[in-house]
Amino acid sequence: MTRLYAGCDVGSTTGKVVILDDHQVVATALIPSEVDPADTARLALDLAASYLPDPSAARSLARLVGTGYGRNEVPFADENISEITCHAVGAQACNPSVRTVIDVGGQDVKAIALNPDGTVLDFAMNDKCAAGTGRFFEAMARILRIDLDRLSELSAAAASVAPITSQCSVFAETEVVSLIARRTPPPDIAAGIQLAVARRVYALARRVGVQPAVAMTGGCAKNHGLVLALQPLLRQELVPLDMDPQLIGALGAAVLARRKGMGR
Amino acid sequence: MVPRPILSAGGLFPVRLRSPEVMGTPLADTYLSSVTCQYVRALLELAMEDRFSDLDGWVFAASCDHLRRLADNLLHVAPPNFLHVLDVPHRVGEEAITWLADELRNLCVKMEHQFGVDLSDEALTKAIWRENEVLSRLERIGRLRRDDPPALFGTDFHRLLAAWQVTPPAWFANTLGSLENALDSSTDRPPARARLMVCGSQIDQPRWIEVVESVGTVIVADRFCFGSIPGLEPWPVGVDPIRSMAEWLLVGSACPRMMERFDSRLERIQQVVREYRVDGVVVQSLKFCDLWGIELAALTRALRELGIPVLRLEREYGGGGEGQLRTRVQAFLESMGR
Repeated sequence: MTRLYAGCDVGSTTGKVVILDDHQVVATALIPSEVDPADTARLALDLAASYLPDPSAARSLARLVGTGYGRNEVPFADENISEITCHAVGAQACNPSVRTVIDVGGQDVKAIALNPDGTVLDFAMNDKCAAGTGRFFEAMARILRIDLDRLSELSAAAASVAPITSQCSVFAETEVVSLIARRTPPPDIAAGIQLAVARRVYALARRVGVQPAVAMTGGCAKNHGLVLALQPLLRQELVPLDMDPQLIGALGAAVLARRKGMGR
Repeated sequence: MVPRPILSAGGLFPVRLRSPEVMGTPLADTYLSSVTCQYVRALLELAMEDRFSDLDGWVFAASCDHLRRLADNLLHVAPPNFLHVLDVPHRVGEEAITWLADELRNLCVKMEHQFGVDLSDEALTKAIWRENEVLSRLERIGRLRRDDPPALFGTDFHRLLAAWQVTPPAWFANTLGSLENALDSSTDRPPARARLMVCGSQIDQPRWIEVVESVGTVIVADRFCFGSIPGLEPWPVGVDPIRSMAEWLLVGSACPRMMERFDSRLERIQQVVREYRVDGVVVQSLKFCDLWGIELAALTRALRELGIPVLRLEREYGGGGEGQLRTRVQAFLESMGR
């Protein structure tokens, strides 16, 4: 019988599950977070299980590792591991050359320096402030009355970059409102928002040293405008990962579950 | 750097002020800049809320500019009946000890006049003996943290320290005696995931230690500006108690305000790492603590060069951000393979 291993990443905005067999990814799921982290974990696992040839196989997982801010609340986890370790392991599982991971999530941004064997060498995290996270993008998109995908598209069409100097989400909102009132083209405002976040993320990454190759994970890695704004600051291109970057934490958790389950 | 024996002689009762329960500092923020240390802002906030009205006086050491600003603003917005600022040298040496001893003598004269108490050498020596009785007991309890597993968690020890700083010495010595007897028989603690040491800004909030320990660690040693383990060595008893105290304060301080002492501070940490079998060191500074903020950059690098795993953190006074703190500590343990 095929042994299955899972990682469950309960984040502030989304819940993610990745299920592996001994060789590859066999199912994934990504859902919006519920109020109760335990509900998020259950729903995400149920959804991932529904993609298996035999959904009932998810009830007899060989091992499951919980991660993310709600990792302590995953009721069926065999253990929990920090999202810092899981993103490092997940990114390196996708691309073994990765030495720096930048994880931009819903409420956290993390920079992680990796050893060649994929273990964590050093890391830095934002403090309580939401600047440089998905929350910041959500707040700015709300002011512009567009969704996050549109924000990314808009910034690509900018003729110039409107300066947004404040790192604070609240003050940045005020700046954006002023720019709108001055009839600054929305694409330029969007590009300014991307650059403001990119500079914040870059400052954090510098704290751990930016060694190539650099990969970006988390939901905000799907924001192409942010990627384009960040690359010149990093003075290098971000390496692609052969998986949805939002699932990398769950993938890392699943890889760790498999390693332990297989006695490695 | 205010010597407790002077504040506990002649029937006086010393209290180190803390304000872990403060909920924001809107009043203090009017007077202090946003980059002033949060401990100082929290104390000014409570002073402006009239929460320290039962104090008969305040004694400051000019350890850093932030504390000086607290003294300045206190005189302006909530002037106490008695306020004295000790001018403390930044270097260790004969001249510095003489200077600080003179400062302490001036303080004694002012306090004798203000409170009508006897702060003669004889009275001070008696106060030193009383303080030393507590310090000796605390030191013995602290040494139990060298055991593996230790007889008490770091959280428990920090609760003791918090209590010590607001409790009359004689009463506290008796309580510690009972505790010592109880702890000697405590041998059933499970082994910890890792034995950690905490260095940096003074921590007067046991809850912070508790959160760090909640992921399976045990804090077995700490090194702040003063204390706690090691750093609770009894006061020297000499023929000139004031000069002895001055020397003890300058030589014993691990506060980075003391210049040209980085190597000795680093050496002390190394020694503790060996003695207390520390697996990793958490270095932390209180937000906007300039002195530790700068020190920690050099300290982190130096400790890593020595092969000691280091987690560097910035701490908010008044708590909060517990989830993020747990994540950082857990990731640190995982990076150590634990």
